[in-house]
Amino acid sequence: MQTFLQYTILGLAIGGSYFIAASGLVVTYTTSGIFNFAQGAIAMLAVFTYWQFRWGWNWPAPLALLMVLGVLAPLLGAALYQVVMKNLRGTSEVTKIIVPIGVMLGFQALATWVWNPTSSTPRQFQKFFGPNAFVHFGSIKVSWHEIIAFVIAIAIAVGIRLLFVRTRSGVAMRAVVDDPELLQLNGGRPERLALISWAGGSFLAALAGILIQPMIGSAMSAGQLTLLVIDAFAAAMFGRLRSLPRTLAGALVIGLTTTYVIAYFPSKWTWSSSFRNSLPMIFLFIVLIVLPQDRLRGATVLRLRERFRMPSIRTAWIAGLVLMVVVFCLKVIMERTAVNTLTLALTFAIIALSLVLLTGFAGEINLAALSFGAIAVIVVYHFGTTGSGTAARTTLWGILLAAVVTALVGAVIALPALRLRGLYLALATMAFGVFVSRMVLTERNERDIFGLKFTIFTAGQLTIPKPKIGPFDFNSPDAFLFLCAGLFAIIGIGMVYLRHSGYGRRLAAMKDSPAASATLGMSVVRLKLSIFMMSAAIAGIGGVMMAAQIGTVNSDRFDILLSLSLMMITVVGGIGYISGALFAGIFLIAFVQMLDLTLKKFAVDYSSIEAIFLFFVSVVTVLPATIGITMGKNPSGAVSDIVAGLDQIKQSKPLVITLVGLEAAIWALAATDIITNWHFVILTMVNLFIVPVVGGKILLARAMRGVPKPVPPELIGIDRPFTFDDLAEMDRALDLEGVVVLSAETVREGATGVSA
Amino acid sequence: MSETHYHEDHGAIADAPLIELVDVRAAYGTIEVLHGISLSVPQGSVVALLGPNGAGKSTILKVVSGLLQPTAGEVRLAGRVVNGAPADELARLGLCTIPEGRGVFPNLTVRENLWMATMSGVPLADVEEIAYARFPRLGERRKQLAGTLSGGEQQMLSMARALSVNPSVLLLDELSMGLAPLVVANLYEIVAQVSQEGVSILVSEQFARTVLGIAQYAAIVLHGTITKVGTPAELEDELSAAYLGS
Repeated sequence: MQTFLQYTILGLAIGGSYFIAASGLVVTYTTSGIFNFAQGAIAMLAVFTYWQFRWGWNWPAPLALLMVLGVLAPLLGAALYQVVMKNLRGTSEVTKIIVPIGVMLGFQALATWVWNPTSSTPRQFQKFFGPNAFVHFGSIKVSWHEIIAFVIAIAIAVGIRLLFVRTRSGVAMRAVVDDPELLQLNGGRPERLALISWAGGSFLAALAGILIQPMIGSAMSAGQLTLLVIDAFAAAMFGRLRSLPRTLAGALVIGLTTTYVIAYFPSKWTWSSSFRNSLPMIFLFIVLIVLPQDRLRGATVLRLRERFRMPSIRTAWIAGLVLMVVVFCLKVIMERTAVNTLTLALTFAIIALSLVLLTGFAGEINLAALSFGAIAVIVVYHFGTTGSGTAARTTLWGILLAAVVTALVGAVIALPALRLRGLYLALATMAFGVFVSRMVLTERNERDIFGLKFTIFTAGQLTIPKPKIGPFDFNSPDAFLFLCAGLFAIIGIGMVYLRHSGYGRRLAAMKDSPAASATLGMSVVRLKLSIFMMSAAIAGIGGVMMAAQIGTVNSDRFDILLSLSLMMITVVGGIGYISGALFAGIFLIAFVQMLDLTLKKFAVDYSSIEAIFLFFVSVVTVLPATIGITMGKNPSGAVSDIVAGLDQIKQSKPLVITLVGLEAAIWALAATDIITNWHFVILTMVNLFIVPVVGGKILLARAMRGVPKPVPPELIGIDRPFTFDDLAEMDRALDLEGVVVLSAETVREGATGVSA
Repeated sequence: MSETHYHEDHGAIADAPLIELVDVRAAYGTIEVLHGISLSVPQGSVVALLGPNGAGKSTILKVVSGLLQPTAGEVRLAGRVVNGAPADELARLGLCTIPEGRGVFPNLTVRENLWMATMSGVPLADVEEIAYARFPRLGERRKQLAGTLSGGEQQMLSMARALSVNPSVLLLDELSMGLAPLVVANLYEIVAQVSQEGVSILVSEQFARTVLGIAQYAAIVLHGTITKVGTPAELEDELSAAYLGS
């Protein structure tokens, strides 16, 4: 009985903290329609900042609390809204999910930068009134901290409820979600309300973090803390991001069950700790599936700012060939380590292809691509290799089996999640990803599964050899590089074929309007299921290639945060493009690493200003997230900009010849060792960026001087306002003189005002 | 500039138009949809904007209400240029807009919807009193979510706001959309009453006949320009041409 009470109180306190974090989610979602994935990261930053004030600089607790909760957290939230989230109006669901994820990853990198996790002294974070402040109720003793946590949670529940129902500002906050324009027409200020609610949401996140950190009793870790508050997502979902009482109930259930698992599961069950950690995610998954969802929505066609153009099949083949040639040319001049990096980048690009297929083509979201990779790797490790030692090889059958198994797992995940869309599906996949990380990849003990004895994740790491397919052995780094490049090209071209097929058009239709697709007689269920399976299989193949390139992988390689980074960078590159996936792989692996190495090299070379370069090394760690955050401004992605730029260049032959000629010359210099690879990279960048820009300017200047090209009649008025002179022009072009009654003159005559 | 300002000066500026558009152009993105609109609404009168789908009627109302900034020209309210003024500020100054087909917040109760109307300075008690007196049906459903009301009841709710905030200018967009003819007639009766209290009203309609009964002036909008302006009687012949021609 004593244990029960003790753990019940701890569970209520932890549940209360979850509720505080979840209520912050509800508040921000209510006013801005954006689900704040960065909630956990804000909590994490607050915990670290509070630690800095309280124990780093020995401030008194009230001052530190006032500073963090009263000043910094609200300011951070307000700034987040003003600078980042405000720009997300009118973007697709994917962008609305990706940008907060970028913020989350950015904060995480920032925390690791400022509070070095490998520092020698572990940071201790204590409960309020110190670790020994207890109250005794009969035989049980309860820490003041737990009491405070629970009381604050209840107070906040009541407070927010009153705010939302009893105050005009609170009701107006709810009105913002329904219709910000209408609120404006009523005289309300939607922007200001959203700003205030983000400040409040950030405050709640910070409060939750500071309350929960000492209760879990482990050392402060940026990653762990961020994910800890993500556990609150389940509670927020249970309240359907609206109802606070339900959110409170959900949070308390999660808090209680997780503590009961610790209290009552027999200690010989080696999996109970992982089970406790994945419980909130299991809960989230179940909640998402069981709770009633919005019906298929038809009527409104969203006008989005994203625009994607599919390449023709011919272009796809040419692009594939160009990729192979470029990879070959690079291989000739590159060192061994650089070849390895490029190969790894290509394997990530293959995984990113799965995201392009799923999100870019079908509009569904998977936040756990690498978790599917992990499953494929486990399959290959156990069933897909031959030989041993240096003669070990991954077999073709092993890879195919892995693809099939991941596709089936994909189906198992997608089947219940089929009714979900957008945010809900994203969260369901994320729950799956975290579950895989916490439950499956931590399985290091031998288990008896269906009479089959084996260890899922042996010794915490799996060794995957390079593949051998038929007579072709891809054990050498060069051969494997070409295998990955070829695989990327083939899957990419296959996807372009798919997109141009009837199936691909049905996907596009489903992406635009599931309701309309259903009324046209398509089986939305079958479409979703098949595309999810295909995407999972591609992610699986990419995961196996990634593991084979690295050699021995541990569970960190499949971390959910890495999946999120990959998704984010793919969206940055352009989620609708095959090349967006290539961009993601190259950027996330090769580019970041290259910048990192270059800066570190400079730091050694110029040791007098070493600090400056080391500073930029840290900047590089924040870079991907920063780029992700800018997505709100340019939701079509970087690739679409590049494509638009290329279109300009393509019109001028001299420019194309200059560009290609210069690049060939630079390459030749590098191949003959006249210049180093560093110079090659820098010159290439200069060539690729400067020539188009300068050339474009010259082209533009020439166009300004010369006579403008005549516009074909069908394009009149499309890229600029339509005028009545255009009408006349169109009539002439179409030989319709005198047919149209409405001429410029008659219209202008009529356009006089009412005289009173 | 207080909202009562217009009423106090009623006699002095009766001849001056309360809303005036001078050669207004507006665009969605790069596509211009209003090509130089000039129009004035005299104080206390009802002016109807008529025209087919996509002619630019709603855009004109958006420009006047401040939701869309004109790319050229001037919007004047009571003689003052209000280009660039945010919609919420204009609303608090006494400009009441009932947007097309969605004048209510569906996830707020009837009472909470009325509460939002108080931002222009009228106490909630007054708003409720006026609304429930005029539409007893709303009083019965004050705790019901507005999204669960019928189309006619929703339109009553949005009209209740127009009645209770004591506006100087009322902008109505497609009042009749999706409603039964009897309901429409009833709503326009209210509009006529509001106008008799000195409120200047600009109303857009596709379904022309009902509104011509109460409008002093009407303007035919076609392809983003005003092709004809006059009293309803003068426009009888033009109307059918506007819908059927070109």
